[in-house]
Amino acid sequence: MPDIEVEQFRSEAHSWLEANMEPRPRASQLGSSDSRTPEEIAASRILQRKLFDGGWTGITYPREYGGRGLTAAHERAFRQEALGYVMPDFGGAGHVMFGAIGRSLLAHASPAFLHKHIARLLSGEELWCQFYSEPEAGSDLAGIRTSATRDGDRWLLRGSKIWSTGADHADYAMCLARTDWNAPKHQGLTWFAVPTNAKGLTIRPIVQINGAAGFCEEFLDDVEVTDDDIIGEVNRGWTVAQTMLVYERGAGNAGSVPVEPQRLAPDLVALASKVGRDVDPVARQLLARAHVNDYAQFHLGRRVAARLRSTQTPDPAVAAYGKLAAGTLAPIRARIAVEIGGVSALGWHTGDSSGQRQATDYLNGRMGSIAAGTNEMQRNGIGERVLGLPREPSFDSNKPFAEVIRAARNWNGRVG
Amino acid sequence: MDPSASDDQQLIMETSARLMDQLCPLTQVRASTYRNAEFALTYRRRASELGWFSMLVPEELGGGNVSGNGVLDATLIAFERGRRLQPAPFVGTNVVAYALAQAGSSAQKVKVLPGLMSGEASAAWLPLPTAPSQGFSATRTSSGFEFSGRSTHVQDADSAAWLLMTAETDNGVIQALIEPTSAGLTVTPLDSLDITRGFAEVELDGFYVPEADLLGEGDARELVERQLAVACVLTTAESVGAMDHDFEMALQYAKDRIAFGRPIGSFQAIKHLLADTSLMLEMSKAITLAAANSVGTDDGYGLEAASMAKAFVGDCGIDLAQNCFQVFGGIGFTWEHDQHLYLRRVTTDSALFGGPAWHRERLCQLSGL
Repeated sequence: MPDIEVEQFRSEAHSWLEANMEPRPRASQLGSSDSRTPEEIAASRILQRKLFDGGWTGITYPREYGGRGLTAAHERAFRQEALGYVMPDFGGAGHVMFGAIGRSLLAHASPAFLHKHIARLLSGEELWCQFYSEPEAGSDLAGIRTSATRDGDRWLLRGSKIWSTGADHADYAMCLARTDWNAPKHQGLTWFAVPTNAKGLTIRPIVQINGAAGFCEEFLDDVEVTDDDIIGEVNRGWTVAQTMLVYERGAGNAGSVPVEPQRLAPDLVALASKVGRDVDPVARQLLARAHVNDYAQFHLGRRVAARLRSTQTPDPAVAAYGKLAAGTLAPIRARIAVEIGGVSALGWHTGDSSGQRQATDYLNGRMGSIAAGTNEMQRNGIGERVLGLPREPSFDSNKPFAEVIRAARNWNGRVG
Repeated sequence: MDPSASDDQQLIMETSARLMDQLCPLTQVRASTYRNAEFALTYRRRASELGWFSMLVPEELGGGNVSGNGVLDATLIAFERGRRLQPAPFVGTNVVAYALAQAGSSAQKVKVLPGLMSGEASAAWLPLPTAPSQGFSATRTSSGFEFSGRSTHVQDADSAAWLLMTAETDNGVIQALIEPTSAGLTVTPLDSLDITRGFAEVELDGFYVPEADLLGEGDARELVERQLAVACVLTTAESVGAMDHDFEMALQYAKDRIAFGRPIGSFQAIKHLLADTSLMLEMSKAITLAAANSVGTDDGYGLEAASMAKAFVGDCGIDLAQNCFQVFGGIGFTWEHDQHLYLRRVTTDSALFGGPAWHRERLCQLSGL
């Protein structure tokens, strides 16, 4: 049992926030882009430190590593209380850092590693990112080709990574590399902690279709790491990756939309009014549809969290429902905005941030359908692991990975 | 259905499920056994012993529920009913019992409520129109009102002992609780798409209602809105139950059916369709429970939540049944296979008490737009 009841915790959070944090200006939007300036990151680090010193970070993390050792309900209560205040905002990197990365480290890293890094992560002193996807391995993550080669008592990392959220501001990366090319694809992978200022590592922001740069690509040219930097066990990295995916798909931030959406799609209502279509039955149908979807998606999130809580070991496939819902509904919502706005939403006067924002949201509409596991991957996971449908035939999981690529080049569709 | 259901709620769901499996399995549904008055009475009496028709009536009037939220408890029963495509006007009887408990005169309560709760009698609600060709208007006479209009597709209106009619007047909305045996009222049984339940058309032409048969005094609009929310949540829950079972059948079929040397469920074309369909089902369960919680606890967002659930599940139910049909392939076209019963049912549920588009427009209006 936690040593403090949720409501008591909530009321302490309320008082502390009131006394220590700046109220959030009412009009301000929560950040919708993942792109952050160095100044914004520096300001967020200061706020993170303040929260850490007050004991409001790592609420569900173990006490021995600097957390509070409380429940998800405590965390949700804090997030609800914190909504009205200016909080550290690392963009998507924050979710990755405190959800997927932190959780995976806690589950798999050695106590010595955790004593060294977790408190620094929680206090904003060490920002972490993932070196995970590669230009030639996205959905098929176990097919990564960055290699870690033994060289005496060190390892040399060589290859390239992509879609690392916030890597340009990070201090450390959790990097997945292949340590055994003769083993089947899932059995030759290992995770390493890599300082981002390591020699031989180049990090470059990627300019996205909307002009923002929230992600980076990296080039590893014989980057040196040691056994102490290994997270989990050598060649057992896929286990760690699976933990990471559970949190990446939403189990770790079940509280990320803490409030039930009750106002009828305010952004779309504003848009409809602006273009004079708030009385148009077609536009009304569209914005009602968007709000109904928002509401259903919120309650799906709660249902998934309740289903995950009702089992001992959370099944990543159940979390996939939340991810698939987001990946399915976000593009629909983005299209609804364009349809309501018509030509009025497609052009704007220079400096009109709302017009700009609609265009950005539209272009980003498919982000959730593709990033962190495509809709198709979620459908496979749900189909096979939740619904128990038979698997697809696999052509690569038993071959030594070195042979896999060559075999694929000679693909003729014939099996046995 | 509800991962947070209490042991008591589980128990009423399980005992209800056992009763239905024993008394009215799908073979009886197909045979329209409920049209037999004697069977119908037995069915309602046995169901009433499990509290089916008492959940929306407060304890001081002889009702009661297990969780303190009668709408949620009734929602869980409705889900189990839907899985088995049960007949009997569960929604109508509960809505009328609810309205009566809220606004009935003591004479009406004494005369009607005990019979509804014990299953001796059933009731149907004829709501405000959701389409131009529907609904009633009422005009004042010296000693009461005259009702005119038409309500098509009212479940079990021909076997109901009581009809609750809602009508627009020049001074707001009124409701009247009447016995359908009265002269001047025509109830015509219909053939319908949904063959798992009976539907009838009710027509009134200057039908006289004395003051004493009105339900409540003054404008009844607020109560009528809440009745609609209850009707929508329970209808939606029955649909979600039907969706759940239809999906289960399709899923099993995808595992059993072999084509091209593989179970068809191993093909991504089928697997992904079923994954998307199960997402619809999960979201439908989530939104229905959310609406039941909201309506049952009077949290101030119940009317909107009920309309949202009705709109969302109204669309998803049909999508789900169509997707399952596609998975079944040719066998789904046979009378013998059960899928068409589910398709008929969810399509009908989608339209009852307002279709998805109607509820989306209602949501806009409730939101002040």
